[in-house]
Parts: sequence; structure tokens; C-alpha cells
Amino acid sequence: MVRGDFFILLPLIITGGAAVAVMLLISFRRSHLATATVTLVALGAAVISVICVAAAAPRQASALLILDSYALFYMGLIFAAGCAVTMIAYDYFERQTDHREEFYLLLLLATLGSAVLVSSNHFASLFLGLEILSVSLYALIAFHRERLPSVEAGVRYLILAAASSAFLLFGMALIYLERGDMTFFRSTQIASGVPAWSPLLLAGTALLIVGIGFKLALVPFHMWTPDIYEGAPPPATAFIASVSKGAAFVLLLRYVTLFGLHSGSVQSAAIAAIAVASMFFGNLLALREEKVRRVLAYSSIAHMGYLLVAILAAGPLAAVAAGYYLVAYFTSIIGSFGIISVREGREGGGDAVSDYRGYAWRHPWLGGAFTAMLLSLAGIPITAGFVGKFYLLAAGLESSLRLLVVVLVASSAIGLFYYLRIIITLYGPPEAERQGAAITPAVSLAGGVALTALTFLLIWFGAYPAPLLRLIQAMVGG
Amino acid sequence: MLSLLWLIPLLPLAGFLSIVLGGGRMRGSMVALIAVGVVGLSAAMAAAVAIRFIYLPPAGNSFTQTLWTWIPATGFMPEISLRLDALSLVMVTVITFVAFLILLYSAEFMGGDEGYARFFAWMDLFVASMLVLVLADNFLLLYLGWEGVGMCSFLLIGFWYRDSANARAARKAFIVTRIGDAAFVVALFLIFTHLGTLTIQEAAARASREWPVGSGLAVAAAALMLAAAVGKSAQLPLQTWLPDAMAGPTPVSALIHAATMVTAGVYLIARANAFFTLAPFVQWLVAVIGAVTLLLAAFAALVQCDIKRVLAYSTMSQVGYMFLALGVGAWSAAIFHFMVHAFFKSLLFLGAGAVIMALHEEHDIFAMGGLRRALPGTFWAFLIGAASLAALPVVTAGFYSKDLILLCDWTSKSGSVWLWAAGLAGAFLTAMYAFRLVFIVFFGELRTKPGRKPGFRMGAALAVLAFFSLSAGFIQIPPDIVNFSPLSELLETSLPRLSAVSVGTQTEALLQAVAGLAGLAGIFFAWFFFRHPALVERLVLTPLGSAFRRLWLEGWCFDRAYDALFVRPYIRLAEINKDDCIDLLNRTLARACESMHYLLIGTQNGRVRQYAAAVTLGAIVIIALMVLL
Repeated sequence: MVRGDFFILLPLIITGGAAVAVMLLISFRRSHLATATVTLVALGAAVISVICVAAAAPRQASALLILDSYALFYMGLIFAAGCAVTMIAYDYFERQTDHREEFYLLLLLATLGSAVLVSSNHFASLFLGLEILSVSLYALIAFHRERLPSVEAGVRYLILAAASSAFLLFGMALIYLERGDMTFFRSTQIASGVPAWSPLLLAGTALLIVGIGFKLALVPFHMWTPDIYEGAPPPATAFIASVSKGAAFVLLLRYVTLFGLHSGSVQSAAIAAIAVASMFFGNLLALREEKVRRVLAYSSIAHMGYLLVAILAAGPLAAVAAGYYLVAYFTSIIGSFGIISVREGREGGGDAVSDYRGYAWRHPWLGGAFTAMLLSLAGIPITAGFVGKFYLLAAGLESSLRLLVVVLVASSAIGLFYYLRIIITLYGPPEAERQGAAITPAVSLAGGVALTALTFLLIWFGAYPAPLLRLIQAMVGG
Repeated sequence: MLSLLWLIPLLPLAGFLSIVLGGGRMRGSMVALIAVGVVGLSAAMAAAVAIRFIYLPPAGNSFTQTLWTWIPATGFMPEISLRLDALSLVMVTVITFVAFLILLYSAEFMGGDEGYARFFAWMDLFVASMLVLVLADNFLLLYLGWEGVGMCSFLLIGFWYRDSANARAARKAFIVTRIGDAAFVVALFLIFTHLGTLTIQEAAARASREWPVGSGLAVAAAALMLAAAVGKSAQLPLQTWLPDAMAGPTPVSALIHAATMVTAGVYLIARANAFFTLAPFVQWLVAVIGAVTLLLAAFAALVQCDIKRVLAYSTMSQVGYMFLALGVGAWSAAIFHFMVHAFFKSLLFLGAGAVIMALHEEHDIFAMGGLRRALPGTFWAFLIGAASLAALPVVTAGFYSKDLILLCDWTSKSGSVWLWAAGLAGAFLTAMYAFRLVFIVFFGELRTKPGRKPGFRMGAALAVLAFFSLSAGFIQIPPDIVNFSPLSELLETSLPRLSAVSVGTQTEALLQAVAGLAGLAGIFFAWFFFRHPALVERLVLTPLGSAFRRLWLEGWCFDRAYDALFVRPYIRLAEINKDDCIDLLNRTLARACESMHYLLIGTQNGRVRQYAAAVTLGAIVIIALMVLL
């Protein structure tokens, strides 16, 4: 390791250091505000450091990590999402009494794991990142240890994630057996192009897809999603839905691109099948679901299916489309869970769709923001979600993925139903006995700032996508 | 200066957003200050831009500002770009200026209404949409503005939505104009697929190059745009929504349903003039629609009892004049009349609003009367507006603009004596119904005691509009009086010149005299009938008289005819056809989705064993797929 390596690893070092600092802080003095502030500042500093080190990219830091502009862009996105989740978590835990500081520690570690994942170029760093992320997630999901559903969800995730990690490890072993190398790709191979496919390599890749597919909750590895989304504390769910899935997706995209699994190769048929199944199953499962969090869980399955279209489309537009869609999805899903978490932290109450009746009348701002988030998830114009979906379609059509594009459109149409159902309920006539029970202020400063910023970004990226598009083109398009 | 163009539509939009987001917590005076202030600023910007444009014209007499490209993809570049040329300059200046005055008036007029903030939010959104409409450089952005004004019109007609009649009127306006909007969308698809661009100038240039005159595509594009314009501008056969639209607050009628939105159709045809030049038949149709509408609406205005309905039919009729001008190729005359009409018609509406307010929401003109002394300021304002509408020679602006249209009908190569005669008859009728209103409302004996008189803000708006209703005509004086026509010189930098056969100065003067006399005769007849109510009574009581009265009162019974011809058959057909195969298909799809949902949801049973089994099975299938394929 030389000095340049340390410099370019600055974002990871900051996050890792912050985790240690927070741990020490907690052991000396328990202070919710101080812990949250340190976390927020550290993640903010990590975002800034990403911008600072961007000039030195690309650079291979040791054999494990590659910090190219692709990795740095998604790292920045992950840290920014971490900031938003921190603020939402502060709002959520403000009214709870015991053991809330550790949440931020786990959050920092999970973010670190995700950042390692997006910059990994080696199976060792892949596994390392994935496990840092997963182990933190077990505890984050079961964070309400006094509540049975939370603990149950944690255990469930632990069992299934461990099983899927086993698949992943086995896949790695097979690939290593074939290639005798743990890096994704050696420079010599970049020149010679796509590696020759042997049965062992194929089987290894298939198992790798199983492992990553579990993290992404793609059909048929999707079944954990609703239970975990429902049981985990909402800020943790926001993190799982966005950062954890996003990091796994970024890794998969890098791997598939390097190995040339797209571009109509026969091997891509399996991925296409997963994509079609995820899009349909996700949207169909959400159709008549009565709980808002479970609806969003099922819908996230479909969203990951949409993103697979970008993986399969190899054109120059595909990487940009994936980037834009991820940014839009991060914004909308963190925002949605942000509002769920604000509501649950303050008002309590059930999670059924009907419990949201008249919510927008009681809290016009939050209701409006939730509406915007849901419309973005549904892909309605002038929200970021629309632009993201538009580019996914454009990328798909560019590579003549007719079937996938048709499925994307048809399943989105199914999806519209359940998003609109929630929105209509939000604006329904409020129940009489609830009317007077509005809590003021409806949201704390931190939560308010985060939600306002997310809503603003959502509209901005939807109406004026040019700056973000340029950034993505420069960072991941090349 | 020109580079600040984007601020003009942005300011009202910002006003809308700030009222929507903070209006609930603001005091009324604060809301009014923001709403009126932003439009005032926008008007000031427009004035500054106008001065810069006129004294230092940009290259090519137009200025295009591309703000950004929304979602660029191969072959599709939806640009958010604004274009300022003489046409949009005149539109923008008039819109911002009149809107500012009307909003100033509303700040007082709407006082005490529980929807005060809501009213101003929508008014600001309307102004922003209207500005986007006229400034748009491409059809897509124009369409955004087009739909935006339609939505605001819907929201503001049904502003007092608790009364279901208002909500019905709003719905009717929305649905009827939607017919035109649908035609507009088809026109856009046609233009994009055949010309490959949505930029207005580029599309017009390509059309002129590639499409021969009278070709099927040109006729189709022009006809579809005409349909859109007819819907928005309340012309035959889609005019039925406008009288009902008077259900909204009076300032809404003044701004949206008189001065600005209803002239969007005129703007569209003027903007897309190249397409109409390529389709002479459609252009002739524009003139005919205008002529017929102006006559029918003028007759209907003669017998109305509701003060706002008189003005609504009058608007329809005056927009008919603009169509008449467009149809004979007198593009700049149409825009001139748009400008003058915006001044005097909003003046008339605002005057009517003051009367209505003073008489406690009384709309029936026969319950008014004798208000000359009780409301002197309103009386003079209304009189000036009516005089301008009646085209009182020399002193009013309406005379100059209407005279120009009549002259163009006579001299234009595509004009005819019949169009001219229709315009002349319309001028006579216009003067008659305008002064019938003045005499009945302000003369005679006092029937209802007026309450609240207009205060400073309403008075100021009336005074300024009255001034312009008289003086706006002087920027375009016919050459046989003084050769001074800066407006048409300005407009002809962006609109084609009228191709006219030259007539002598004497003929021109003669035509002017005839037109002036028609107006004076109309005023005289109005006075005569007002002095002899018994005569009117007798006329109305004859079978023919009463039949026509009823016919005109219902606006030629178009509503009833449409109801019998389209609405009821449609509803009946829909009822009969409720379970047709299309519905069946839809329902089957929905049901299939639902049953698949229930089928799938069964797998989500919370048993971790089964979840793990699914993962394993999935892994096996994927390995099989990848290795074996």
C-alpha cells in the first residue's frame, strides 16, 4: 500500500474510522443527539471525500479494491443515502428511550460494507463487503429486541442470508477452480475479451447470481422481503430497500458487464427469466396486499426486475439508465420509508393501508411528499421515477429486448393499481375519532429536512434531469 | 435583458408554489401581495423585454432561449425552450399586464372568501401556464401550457365547488374542450411522425418544403389544429361550454374566459400559420367558422338576461372576428383585435363584477337599472368598455381593430363580400347588445339599492383598463387617416403579410364610414328599443318573436341538440354495451391478475423452511438453465 492508495481509500477510511469513533463514544457517554451527529458528519465527510478523490480515479488499491469512477459514483450515492437514513432514524428514535445509539454504529458498518461491495474487484473483497453488510443487517433488523416480529424477522434473515452466502461461496470456489484466480478480471483478459464459458464457470456464475439475487430479492429468492420489511424498524427497512440492494445490484452489473453475460448471449436467458418473473411476481403479489410495508416490499421485487433490463441491455445507454434508475429508486424508497417511519415513530398505529385514511388531511406536507414518492415509484411524469423508467425502456429498445420491454410496461401498469390505492386512501375522508389527534410538530427538524430534500430531489430529477444525466454519463457511461 | 426571458413564466409559477406550500399559514393580505406581486413583476419584466426587443431587435427578429432538454433519447429531444418573437411578445405583454390588473382587482373582489389562497394559487398557475403556452418554442411545451390552462380553467370554473351546478359547468367545459385537445394530440403525432420534429419553426419550414399546397397531410394537420383551436376558443361547433363557464368568479371570467385562454386558439392558428397556408380549404373554413360564430353568438347575446352570459356570448362573437381575420390571412389584424379585446372585455367583466358585488350577487339585468348615479365610476368604466366593444368610431380602440378586420375581409385575396357582410352585420348587432346592456343596467329607474362600492384596488384596475380600451387603438391607425402602424410592422416580422388587392383610399374611407355607421345604428336601435319597451314586448309576444327569443336565449339550442344527438345516445349506447367484449377483456384481465395474486400470496406463508426450499429450487433451475442452454 502506498500513499496514493490511502488517499483514494479515504471514503472507506472515514466510514470505518467513524464506526470506531461512534463505538467509543457510546461506551463513554450515551447521547442520541451526539451519536447521530457524528454519524451524519462522518457520512457527509465521506460524500465530500468521494468528490475529492474522484480526480485520482481510476486506481487499483491493492488487489482487492478498484476505485474507478463507476465505483466512486455509487459510493457517493450510498453515503448520501446513508445520510438520509441517519436523519430519518434520528426522527424515529427520538421518542424511544433505550438503546438507540447502537443503531448508528450498525448503520455505519452496513454502509461501509456496501461501499466495499461496489468497489470490489476480487471475490475476497466481495465476500468481505457482503458479510460486513449482512451481519450488520441482522442486528439492524432485530433492533427492537423487545418486539417479537422484529426479532423473528432478524432470525429469518439470518438463516436465509447465511444459506445464500453458502451458495455464493460455493460459486466462488467453482470459478476459482476453473480460472485459478480470485480477481474478477485480469488486465490481460480485458484485451482478449469475454472469457470462454466452461460448465464449471457457468455453474459458478449461476451460484453467484443466486447469492446476489437473494440480496436483491429477485424471484425465486424473494420470499424473505415482506416479512423482513414488516418486522424491521422502518429506518432499517429504508436502508435494506435502498443501499443494501443497490450495492448488490452495482456489483452484479459490474460482474455481468465484465463477463459479457448480456448482449443476447445464451447464458443471459436465465437472467431474462429471473427479470420477467420478478417484474410479474412482484407486482402481482403487491396487488391486494393490505399492509403498506408489505406492498412496498413486493413492489421492490418488481423494481429490481426492472433494473435487470438495464443489465441485459448492453448498449451505451444501459449503464446510464441503471444509474439514473437507482438514484430515482433510492430517493423514492428512502422517502417512502421515511414517511412511514415518521408516522410510526410519532402516531403509532397499524400499518394497514386503511390506517392511512385521511393522513394527508392531517399532515398535508407529509401526505404530499408520500404522494410524490409513490407516484415516482409508479413512474408518473415529472418525478424522477418516470425519467428512470423512460431510460430503462430506451436502453431496452436500443438492444431490441422487445419481450422484456413489453413485460416492463405491462407489469408497471399492474403496479399502478396498488400505488394509486395508497394515494387515494391518503386523501380519503379522515375517521372522526382520529381527527383531533394530530401531533405537533408532525416531524422533527432532522426528519423534515431529509424528507423535504428527498421530495425536492425527486421533482428536480424528474423535471430537470440534465445535470444528473451528465454526471452519470461522465461517471458510469464511459 | 432578453436572457431573463425565463423569469417571466417562472415568477407566477413561484407565486403559485409559495401560496400552495405556505398559503394555509399566511394571512390574506400576504397571499394577495405574493400573488399580485409576482404577476406585477412578471409584467414589468415583459415590459422591459418588450422595450429591448423593439429598440434593439435581436438577429432574425426572434430570440430563442433553450433552458434544458428534458429527456434526450435517440431522435427525441424534448427541449424546454422559449421563443420570443413579435407574436409572442405581444401576447406576453398583454397577458401579464391584463392579468396583473385583474389580480389586483381580485385582491379586493375576492376578499372574505374562504378559498382566498386557493383562488390566487390557481390564478398564478394559470398565468404561468398561459405564458408557457405563448412562449413555447416547440409543440410539446406548447401542449403543456395548453393543458395547464385547461386544468386551471376547470378548477376555477368550479371554484365554488360545493354548488353542484358549478361543478357540472366545470366538467362540461373540461370535456368539451377535451375534444379539441384530443385533436391537438393527434396533430402532434402527425407532425412528429411525418416531419420528425416538434420545434414549431422547424416543423413549419419542413412542411413548407416537403408538403405541396393542399396535400392530404397538410390539410389533416391544419384541420386537427383547427379543431383544437375551436375547442379552446369556444367557436362553432364546440362553443357550448363558454356560457356555462360563467359559473366561476367574475375575475376568472375576465382573465380566462375573455382576455387570455379563449384566445389561445387564435394564437395557435397564428403560430402555425404555415400549415394553414398550405391548406387553403381549412383556412377558408377558419373564416367561415368565425363569421358564423360571430353572428350566432351576437344574436344570442341580444336576448340574455344574465349580465355575465351577455358578455360570454359577446366574447364568443369577438373571438369569431379574430377567426374571421385569421381565415382571410390577416394574421396581424387578428392579434391586434386580440389585444384590444383583452382590454375592453376584461374591463366589461370587471365592471359587471363591481355591479354584481354592489347588488349582492345579483346577475339578472332586469333587477338592475338606474345605477348611473349610484355607481358613477363603474358606469363610466362600463360605458367605455361597451363603446369600445361597439366600435364607436374614432375615439375607441375597438373601432380601429374591428375596422381593420372588416377592411381585410374586403381587400384580402381570399376574402369575399359575404365575409365582409357578416362582419358588418355582426358590428351592428354588437353595438346593439352592448348598449342594450348599458341602458338596462345603468339607465332608467333604480331597482335595487347598491351596497358595497368598489374600493381603490378595483377602481384602479377599472381606470387603467378603461384608458387602454380607448387608447390602445392608436398604435394601428388606418393609412387614410394617419399613416401610423407600428403594431403591424412589428407583427409582420414574425407573421406573413396580408396578400391584398389594393383598393383606393376612397374605397377604404367609404368602408370605414359604413362600418362606423353600422355601429352607430346599433346604438341607436338599442336606445330606441330601450325607450319603447312596449314595442319590444309586442315583438316578443308574436309567435315568431317568442320562438326566436327562446332559441337565442338557449344559444341556438346547441346544448339541447348535442344532448339529443350525442350525449344521450352515447350514454344509452354505453349502457347497452356495458358488457361488451372490450369490457369483458378488461375485466378478465383484472380478474386474472387478482386470482394470480391470491395464488402467489399463498406462497408467502412465513415458513422459513419453504423459503429456503424455494431458494434451493431456484438455484437448481438457474444452474440447469445456464449450463444446459
